[in-house]
Amino acid sequence: MEEQIERLARECREEISAAGSENALYAVRVKFLGKSGLISELMKGMRNLAPEQRPVMGKIVNETRASLEAEFAAKGKQLHEKELAEKLASEKIDITINEGSRTGRLHPLSAVRQRLVDFFVSMGFDVMDGPEVETDYYNFEALNVPKDHPARDMQDTFFLGGNLLLRSQTSASQVRYMEEHKPPLKMISPGRVFRNDDDATHSPVFHQLEGLVVDRGITMCDLKGILDEFAKHFFGKDTKVRFRPSYFPFTEPSVEVDVSCAMCHGKGCKICKGTGWIEILGAGIVNRKVLRTCGIDPDEYTGFAFGFGIDRIANIIHGIPHIKLLYENDIRFLEQFR
Amino acid sequence: MKLPISWLKEYAAIGNATPEEVAEALLSVGFEVEEMIYAGEEIENVVVAKVIDCKPHPDSDHLHVCMVDTGKEILQVVCGAPNVKTGDVVPCALSGAKLPGGIEIRPGELRGVTSYGMLCSGKELGVDDTIIEGAEVDGLLQLPKDTTLGTDIRKILGLDEYILDVSVTANRPDCQSIIGLAREVAAAMDVRFTPPVNKYKTVEYDGEYMPGVEIRSELCSRYTGRLIRDVRIERSPEWMARRLRLVGIRSINNIVDITNYVLIETGQPLHSFDIRFISKGIVVRTAEKGEKITALDGKEYTLGDDMLVIADSKKPIAIAGIMGGEYSGIMSDTETVFLEAARFDRRSVRVTSRRLGLRSDSSARYEKGVDYTSVDEGRERALALIYKLKAGRIVDVRSDAGIDRPEERVIRTSAKQICSVIGIDIPAKTIEKILRSLGIATETKARSDALVCTVPLRREDIEDFADLSEEVIRYYGYDNLEPTFLKSAACTAGGESERDKAILSLKNVLCGMGLYEMTNYSFISGKAADMLILPPDDERRNTVRLLNPLGEDTSELRTRLTHSALTVAALNLSRGNDAFRLFEIGKVFIPAGDGVQPHERMRLSMVYAGDKENFYTLKNAVTETLRFFGAETELNRSGQPYLHPGMSADVILGGKPVGSFGRLHPTAAENYGIAANVFVAELDLEALLALDRSPVRYSPISKFPCVCRDLAVVVKDECSVGELTDTIKRACGKDLESVALFDVYKGEQIESGYKSVAFSLRFRSLEKTLADADIQKLTDAAVCALKNEREARLR
Repeated sequence: MEEQIERLARECREEISAAGSENALYAVRVKFLGKSGLISELMKGMRNLAPEQRPVMGKIVNETRASLEAEFAAKGKQLHEKELAEKLASEKIDITINEGSRTGRLHPLSAVRQRLVDFFVSMGFDVMDGPEVETDYYNFEALNVPKDHPARDMQDTFFLGGNLLLRSQTSASQVRYMEEHKPPLKMISPGRVFRNDDDATHSPVFHQLEGLVVDRGITMCDLKGILDEFAKHFFGKDTKVRFRPSYFPFTEPSVEVDVSCAMCHGKGCKICKGTGWIEILGAGIVNRKVLRTCGIDPDEYTGFAFGFGIDRIANIIHGIPHIKLLYENDIRFLEQFR
Repeated sequence: MKLPISWLKEYAAIGNATPEEVAEALLSVGFEVEEMIYAGEEIENVVVAKVIDCKPHPDSDHLHVCMVDTGKEILQVVCGAPNVKTGDVVPCALSGAKLPGGIEIRPGELRGVTSYGMLCSGKELGVDDTIIEGAEVDGLLQLPKDTTLGTDIRKILGLDEYILDVSVTANRPDCQSIIGLAREVAAAMDVRFTPPVNKYKTVEYDGEYMPGVEIRSELCSRYTGRLIRDVRIERSPEWMARRLRLVGIRSINNIVDITNYVLIETGQPLHSFDIRFISKGIVVRTAEKGEKITALDGKEYTLGDDMLVIADSKKPIAIAGIMGGEYSGIMSDTETVFLEAARFDRRSVRVTSRRLGLRSDSSARYEKGVDYTSVDEGRERALALIYKLKAGRIVDVRSDAGIDRPEERVIRTSAKQICSVIGIDIPAKTIEKILRSLGIATETKARSDALVCTVPLRREDIEDFADLSEEVIRYYGYDNLEPTFLKSAACTAGGESERDKAILSLKNVLCGMGLYEMTNYSFISGKAADMLILPPDDERRNTVRLLNPLGEDTSELRTRLTHSALTVAALNLSRGNDAFRLFEIGKVFIPAGDGVQPHERMRLSMVYAGDKENFYTLKNAVTETLRFFGAETELNRSGQPYLHPGMSADVILGGKPVGSFGRLHPTAAENYGIAANVFVAELDLEALLALDRSPVRYSPISKFPCVCRDLAVVVKDECSVGELTDTIKRACGKDLESVALFDVYKGEQIESGYKSVAFSLRFRSLEKTLADADIQKLTDAAVCALKNEREARLR
């Protein structure tokens, strides 16, 4: 009987090692270790053994069964891993194919506007939105530009009849804000402005951001400080700021502000037209007449104001050569701004 | 303002400063130089040469073969001029030379004889007799025999010169003149400024006719006239003609040239009348309504009663400050001139000039503002030049009228106050020095820091200490500012409005769904409403119109965004960009009545194009937008004329439509030249922004398991999925977690006119694990309700 067991075990091991799949292995297992398998059949023959031999034989059978079980498990694991690997290999796909929808993006003007807003908000500036259809009063008169003043020629305005016009500058918001709020105040007003000017370098619609600070003891040095920070933030930390005297009816003194060209670092290139400087904004100390018009005592308070074109800042930052590209909305343009 | 360097040098001792240095100085004090022009830029490589030999061309009856000495070499030049002869000293364009009109000279053969250059006429060099004697003869420009050979011709013609085109800001009319700019340059470069000294002799008045002057309007504050007798109208000297040419003015005759010269040099417009055409006294008055005048340009103008004229006893003889009448000008036989120097209200000149559509150098100058003292300075300068040029005899008689010389403005301030807006301490002595260099007299008081400044009349822009601050800092230099960071300012809260934040978040949601943001103009074409097939009485046709639009395509403020969106879609499609999703959030303008600011409302538009897009892909973005605002809305079939009637919907919020979306109507598509599959949506954001945006309150999440059941019913074709879903939700109540459509089937096994609709229902209770019996009860309720309400039968 012992020999029979050994033979069966040997046959079983041979068949285990020959099994090529989990299914085949299972069949071998049923054949040898199943309820009516060969080992079980053999056990039935134990009845014919002498009683004292039965425990000895039983032990041998059980040990053989346990050792075969272990081999089945090992082989099973091996076969399972092999089959899984084959399955995974067969599921390999082309990962270079793209499927599904892409996300869109903000328009570069919106994105830049938001960066500007975030910058000034972080310093405590309020954000104001004024009407785009303005009255002559807010766009001109209250800003110290009386009717038929030559300063009106500085901007070509779209008129709508009566005393209505499309605002030519976000400075119009200054007066509205100062009518509602009293110093200390800090505000910016980003928005859309309109000028009757349409050529390669001008768009009849563009965007400005007006800034205003009114408090006690505000000076040109404070203006320089804020604009230095602004320039470093948007054009790089090595950027220099230059003030040049200029004229705006609503500020006195007035300055044009240039930043050193980020492209050539002041050496002179195509972008800065060889000057090393790029003109980006107009600013100054709020004209005392304007403060008075808004009901703020110019002997007690001073303030500064500045205004620049958001389109221009966007174009400088992104190297966009023509302002018109911003308003065409060609999807190939819009897709570029990650 | 054109500023020739040589003219500048007459009044500012700039020595050998380069044009670049002058431009830099001007820039530093607030005058931008827009262009630096070299007067002789059209001419290159043309030199003075002597004809040393001149023989007839062997093969031509009018050409000559010349040998010319350029001072450096002897060249053979073929010349066709009739006046060429040996010994002539003439301009010679060398190989590679450039002449006005873009002409380049290259060596070449003329009937078999090589020519290494070209001898030039005055015309070929772009000059006439006013610039150089002999320029208009038929043939070569003959130069004096003693001219140094090889000299650059630009030196001979007065073209070896730089002109700065200076941009003068609107507050500085006093710098619309050579002298005004010279004063600034001198102060900026710290060199001497010497104003002109005007000397002349007069002849005694012998009782001849001299018009008296009467001012009858406040629009003229000063009017002065002088009489010039024995006028000899002739050509101006070359130096004057050349200077005028440098600033772009053609020389006419001595009297006209002097008035132009003085306008440029001092900024004072002058007018010269031929006395023969003035009858009796001169009256400065407003025109009578409908009064007519034929001006020097030969055109007749009808005047308004607010327009200022110079009139004699019979008729207007000039439109004040703008243009003289047709007979008022100087003619070749003019003998006696009445020279006007006056000050007219700039506003009046501006308005009149615009209304008549008539501009002149004089009106352009008056519009910018002429100050009180300029009248005398300009007139005296003109008289000195008339005397110098012997253009006539100045009669010792005056016709002056107008207000007395006003007081100069006195500003009482202090160095401290002047520095208060600048932010740095500038020494009082430095402040005084700067102010004085600009002609502002300063006076300090003992034992006080008071600084009393007297401002010259030409500086009407200086009104208070802040203006003095600007004068000081622009000369002291902005580079000296020390940046501070709002050192004395109070802390403020600031921030964006909730509205702005909501709009930005919405934009990000839309971007997340694959939409790119567009930015469009606020104005649209007057044809937009027709392109969108809006009916004639549609309220959207009621727009705000621009009085001075750039063109028909940008003539109205938009009342909706859809036209812009479709225009962009059409542009992209025409460029082969065939798949895109775009949105815009922008303002529209709804008229609120004449003279009243229109209502500005924020709207959202979306446009989809591409093979993969359909009604439902666009609907998804609309639905997500509504969900963003927590808007409880319904959908109705839309009647928008520009949308496909079967594939469009109106969004209803609180019973009111707040937008529409759907497939573009084929007729509208045709109007925009769109051949592709395009879907468009527009929503009124104001209505959505007005909804409550208080923080969302949490709803409990069930911890019990869910049970899913599928349900397929057969219903009539016209029964919508939305109706079926509503019925199921109502019948099942709160334990129905969700219901999702998974199939709509028509065809075999389903009779015609019917469809099979299959839903997947998910049940879950907040209180317990639902048992089979519970689920059965719920699905039975759903089936029963579908049968009763929608005539549905279980499949």
